[in-house]
Amino acid sequence: MMTFSLWDIVRNLLIGGALTLLLSLVAFALGGATGLLVLFARIGKWRAPRALAQMHIELFQGTPLLLQLFTLFFGLSLFGLDVPAWLAAGLGLTLFTSAFLAEIWRGCVEAVPRGQWEASACLAMTYWEQMRHVILPQAMRLSIAPTVGFAVQVVKGTAVTSIIGFAELTKTGSMIANATFQPFLVYSLVALGYFILCYPLSRYAQALERSFHAAR
Amino acid sequence: MPLVSTNRLHKFFGTNHVLRGIKLDVEEGEVVTIVGRSGSGKSTLLRTLNGLESIDDGVIEVDGATLEVDRADASALRNLRQKVGMVFQQFNLFPHLSAGQNVMLAPQVVKRTPKKEAEEIARRMLERVGLAEKFDAFPDQLSGGQQQRVAIARALAMSPRVLLCDEITSALDPELVNEVLGVVRQLAGEGMTLIMVTHEMRFAREVSDKLVFMHEGKIHESGHPQAMFAKPATAEFASFIGSLN
Repeated sequence: MMTFSLWDIVRNLLIGGALTLLLSLVAFALGGATGLLVLFARIGKWRAPRALAQMHIELFQGTPLLLQLFTLFFGLSLFGLDVPAWLAAGLGLTLFTSAFLAEIWRGCVEAVPRGQWEASACLAMTYWEQMRHVILPQAMRLSIAPTVGFAVQVVKGTAVTSIIGFAELTKTGSMIANATFQPFLVYSLVALGYFILCYPLSRYAQALERSFHAAR
Repeated sequence: MPLVSTNRLHKFFGTNHVLRGIKLDVEEGEVVTIVGRSGSGKSTLLRTLNGLESIDDGVIEVDGATLEVDRADASALRNLRQKVGMVFQQFNLFPHLSAGQNVMLAPQVVKRTPKKEAEEIARRMLERVGLAEKFDAFPDQLSGGQQQRVAIARALAMSPRVLLCDEITSALDPELVNEVLGVVRQLAGEGMTLIMVTHEMRFAREVSDKLVFMHEGKIHESGHPQAMFAKPATAEFASFIGSLN
């Protein structure tokens, strides 16, 4: 029978952890970019994009991430599309992230007082000039803490992609646990891995929130 | 020809008929004060003059820029708003920008004025309201009176033909009211066309060329303030000034 040293376990988990980190970053970056588009559609004047954005948000907020991944992974293959696990994982998390970020950011835009819109309108600014110079700078300030807070959710959300076979931290952990018969040790290390990724983010979010409360 | 003129102006909030056929002419250099009880439509009237409130019927004309019910598109609004400045009760300064940047923003963004020139304009406007040394201060570092004076400077930087003042001293502590009124008095003296809604009746009597009393969405009585106060023509205006004392 093969034996595993602690280093063997940790080494493999580090590789899985790196993929978790990579998936989180990709999902957050692409989800953020998509979320911005969804946001502008959602708060814009045109009816059709607004309805589409709302549907997008309700769909991805109203269903479990796991089922979104299943649908992408198994559903698209029904149409003859061979979707590898990494692609389904990245795409699923991106869509999930975009829906939540769009909604978080909408709250921040709407938290900017109406007087700011009126004052900038009176100065003859167009909608996009108002957005760019008056509304978004203030909304951005409000959004930093909740956005970083949501990043923690994304990191933890990546664990779900293990179900469709993407070999990130959790999937790697379960494979190692099966091979070593040391599930408690392995899963504790897996949990520690998530904690190491998330804890600094949580602290950062708290610090940001404090500094903005102090500033305004 | 009047600088500002409205005709047959009607406005509904739902089923509430708040403006019922307003005809108002304001000559260049005139100072017009609109008074009336709360709910009489005076603030709404002021806000229609730069398109902050849409109108349901009628026409607004300011220095050749026209706003009509079915022709109030973005470019008509932008055209009108370049001629009409506005100062609000709640100041509405941009909190993420310094006083100077607040004043510079619109000239740079809307009129594409180069930064250096916009800064010169901003310094000149802040000096005009007595705040030359506050260029780099942020709104939350300024008193209410100072914030309101920055807001006036911000409006003036776009060189509007007419300035609308919507109860601009109502949110101020009593001891700060005079510094703002002083700036308005100075503007009136310089020949600025002003249309204001105010509760400062003594001030209105002193600086206004014309007083407009609104009642139930109509201009109920208007004329020279001294004459109106001395001899109210309608029972409603008499009762209104009676309730002030």
